[in-house]
Amino acid sequence: MKKARLNQADISKKSKLLCERMLADLEQAKRPVLEAVKCSLDNSFYKPSVGYLTPGDKRVRTELNVSSVQKLSRTVFMLEILLRNLGTGQVNTKRELYYISKGMVKHNKELKVLDFDEQTESDAIIDFISDMLEVYREELNCFANDRGGQTYSKQLIVEETLPNGKTATIDLSTLGTSPFQPKNKPQNLKLRKRGKIDFVLIVESEGTANTLVANGFTDRNKCIVIGAQGVPSNAVRGWARTIQNQLDVPMYFFGDLDAYTLQNIYRTLKAGSAASLIRNSEFSAPSVRFLGVLPEDVQQYDLHYYNVTEKDASELRSIKKAQDALKNDPFFQDKKNKKIAAILKWLVKEKKRCEQQAFWMVNPKDPVTPEKIILDKIKKGAWV
Amino acid sequence: MAQQTKIVSSSTAEYFAKNLQQVGFSSPTKAVLTTLKEAVDNSLDACEMAGILPELTIEIKKIGTGSQKNTDLIEISVEDNGPGLEAEDLAKVFGEYLASSKFGRGQCSRGQQGIGISAATTWAQLTNAKGVVVTSKTKRMRKAVQGLVNVDIKGNKGMFLNKKSIDWDKEHGLKVEFKIDGRIQLNGDGGLLTYLEGTTLLNPHVKFNYKLMDNPWVKIDRVSKDVPSIPPPTDPHPHTMKLGEFMTHAHIYGNMKVGKWLKTSFSRVSENVIKNFVKNGLEKKYLNQTLQKLSDEEFKKAYTAIQKTDLMSPSTKSVLTVGEESLAKSIRRMGEVDFFSVITRKPKICDFKPVVVEVAIARFLDRGGEHDDPVRLLRFANRVPLQFDKGNCAITKSIESVNWRSYGLSQPKNSLPRGPYIFAVSVVSPFIKFKNASKETIDASDELVEELRRALMQAGQNLSRHIKREARAADVERKKQHIEKFGPILVDTLARIVKAPEKRRKKAQDGLHKILGRDTKAEEQKLEVAEQRLMDLKAKRSHVLETNEEGEGASQEAPVTEVKAKKKKTATKKQAAKKKAKTASKKKATKKKTATKKKASKKKTATKKKASKKQATKKKTKAKKATKKKTKRTR
Ligand SMILES: Nc1ncnc2c1ncn2[C@@H]1O[C@H](COP(=O)(O)OP(=O)(O)OP(=O)(O)O)[C@@H](O)[C@H]1O
Ligand SMILES: [Mg+2]
Repeated sequence: MKKARLNQADISKKSKLLCERMLADLEQAKRPVLEAVKCSLDNSFYKPSVGYLTPGDKRVRTELNVSSVQKLSRTVFMLEILLRNLGTGQVNTKRELYYISKGMVKHNKELKVLDFDEQTESDAIIDFISDMLEVYREELNCFANDRGGQTYSKQLIVEETLPNGKTATIDLSTLGTSPFQPKNKPQNLKLRKRGKIDFVLIVESEGTANTLVANGFTDRNKCIVIGAQGVPSNAVRGWARTIQNQLDVPMYFFGDLDAYTLQNIYRTLKAGSAASLIRNSEFSAPSVRFLGVLPEDVQQYDLHYYNVTEKDASELRSIKKAQDALKNDPFFQDKKNKKIAAILKWLVKEKKRCEQQAFWMVNPKDPVTPEKIILDKIKKGAWV
Repeated sequence: MAQQTKIVSSSTAEYFAKNLQQVGFSSPTKAVLTTLKEAVDNSLDACEMAGILPELTIEIKKIGTGSQKNTDLIEISVEDNGPGLEAEDLAKVFGEYLASSKFGRGQCSRGQQGIGISAATTWAQLTNAKGVVVTSKTKRMRKAVQGLVNVDIKGNKGMFLNKKSIDWDKEHGLKVEFKIDGRIQLNGDGGLLTYLEGTTLLNPHVKFNYKLMDNPWVKIDRVSKDVPSIPPPTDPHPHTMKLGEFMTHAHIYGNMKVGKWLKTSFSRVSENVIKNFVKNGLEKKYLNQTLQKLSDEEFKKAYTAIQKTDLMSPSTKSVLTVGEESLAKSIRRMGEVDFFSVITRKPKICDFKPVVVEVAIARFLDRGGEHDDPVRLLRFANRVPLQFDKGNCAITKSIESVNWRSYGLSQPKNSLPRGPYIFAVSVVSPFIKFKNASKETIDASDELVEELRRALMQAGQNLSRHIKREARAADVERKKQHIEKFGPILVDTLARIVKAPEKRRKKAQDGLHKILGRDTKAEEQKLEVAEQRLMDLKAKRSHVLETNEEGEGASQEAPVTEVKAKKKKTATKKQAAKKKAKTASKKKATKKKTATKKKASKKKTATKKKASKKQATKKKTKAKKATKKKTKRTR
């Protein structure tokens, strides 16, 4: 099932073939067609054995005509820039690429019509190119300043091969309370461990992850603690996947008990997203489990919770989206995830939400209680 | 009239003198506008009543500094060719309040209250120590009579001073000359020109000569020879009245018997209907009592019984319209019309009152705001322009509630649409409900708003045919442009990436043109179909215009050559400046969607030349005509 990834030389070759085909079509006055996988929920499939969302057969076709000629010329224009970057090993953010194209336009009047008014326009072209070549942005040397992924451990050692051929070695135990934050393509990092690692804990709030560490969590436990900082970015997802692949260690997610967390944060971390169908294989960690907050925790520890009011538009929207996910999202529909789907259903029905920080109210005078609860839950298997 | 004087107390003039701000004299600029407006409205009313085609001569100039801070001394003179007034009436009409022949009569005349012109006299007297100089000549008079009318504020009496006879080389007419403190504002919502243009639009039968300040004389010919006949007054319908109004109405009739009062002073109340009132709780014994004897409590009981009783809706005969044909002609007096759409609705009953709505929407070649400005809105109540407090008016609210985007106009949510259009909306009714005493906004009842919306949507549909045709033409242009601009980039880049030789590049370039040429041709054909449909429609419409007045609505494109360029000279300067601004803003490379049209038409000349060289034979004359026209406009 899992396709071998293309290396950068392959990507260049594939792109050139594509251009060759377009040119040949034009020579024969035939309309060139560009095809890409349709990245949407209705083309998403979930198999428990695979563990992440994969694309179906649906494709989007862009055929050359008077309306699409703009998009197609913008596409080859941007592709040329990206190919140049691949050739020289340069990297750029999406924003920089936006400015690079602006610079090209500035120096060549003929190109004026291609000018991107806003970055969203150039971003869309970059995404289209990725989808079409079935590669991910990072493989085109285009990086975003990804949020999250701050990592703490006394056991983890990371090795990175630099463009100049040298190797950088980062021993996380030497960093104190400062995190290690993987950037760009975490999939290229090599991981080693000093001794045994018992578990990985990914915390929704980076602040809470840091609190745990500052209070000695990583001193007392052989573990890796990661802050997700909201919806996991490509870097966080790729990092979690790398850890799963290279260190065979149980992985837990600790976050809020609400529809948004389950559906957007946890689901994306575990199985990827519909928008990234072609690269979920490298951007999801199917082995991750939902440690909590669980509905039963709310009861057992008598945690404070909020009622989701009809008044709050964003909360109401996330409830609506949750109902929709229960109906249409193959991840929540699969038997394998029925327990997590049951929690989502419970949330929709009860209209309650409880935050991860509520563990701090259990024993307000003891800063280590949250850690105890977490460890206790892991030991008892109180996760989903 | 006789009864009515009863409610006139000697304090009336005093009251108005203290409260002139309530009747349009709240600022120096407004004072000038209100004075002009009261005089012109009166002249038009008088001519209409006498069946005379009006010709008005108006002059407004600054003759010095005013007595109040920040004001000028302004002279306003309005001369008409109406029936004139007898010498003995002048003091009363111009110097006495509530001396109108029209008060509360339920007629669609411009004047309604008998306050207007006397208030202007009062203002003149308060700010410049002199009332109004009036010259009048009726058919019977050999010489005209002239004199100064002042208001005796304590006694609510007019005084006619310095009376003399003069020669006046017109058969009949009346001229008023005011000298007041004020300030002149020509343009904008509260501007004098805005008033005159609005009045021009709704009065196709009027001939105007006016000179405002140092601007040259402007002459506007009439485009209709029909004097609108104001339908006879109609009695109020009992269901339109609040209790207070009901009682005031009674006061006018003094000691009439209640039964007779009900039967004669209301519409839709007959002997049978009165029987139903009795059934619903009006005690029979009151019918033979005089109104004066009724207590407030008894009025209330009677009122309640009447409201409970079903009544026939009032007749719609009391309203009048300008008519689509005349509106269509009149609109062209405002400038070079690009295209327009006019709708005259059938009279309707809204809130038990007869109402008729007319809408004219036009785009002008040489005026109207920028593309991003809101449309210019002209509101009318009984053909009088409403120039203040636009936001609260039923008309504004109705326009904002219509989805103009579906007709091809740009419109921010719940706002006026945008673009170089003029929207003129007129409401005529013998009982217009205003929001306040200064009669500047029409009250937005649900039924009236609904009727207005219908009219607006009809006009919008007509308009959309033009706009869509244009959009389509712009689309073809845009697409052609796409090919010319994007084609080479696409091919060149591909060739560079695969390192193709020049020969392949050229061949691919030709191939691309073939493919996209096919597409454009298809688009052009679609455009032709759209054009044809529009022409058919126009043919049908002009037939409608010639043969009947079913009120289905008319919409036409004004052929450029046909339009008499009646440019208002006073406005030319401003227009030129505007044009300049327009071209300047065009130069700022406009990437936004709203601007694509402009851009497209700019490029048109070049594209067209190329195209015609290549295929001069083609039959796409229609598409070209449109193109040519647009080019002209943008140059
Ligand atoms: N130019 C004129 N020619 C002939 N008659 C006139 C002229 N101006 C005014 N009148 C007569 O004088 C009357 C009083 O005018 P006035 O402006 O005070 O009241 P109105 O027009 O009836 O109501 P409003 O207060 O709403 O203007 C008019 O009803 C009309 O009969
Ligand atoms: Mg009047």
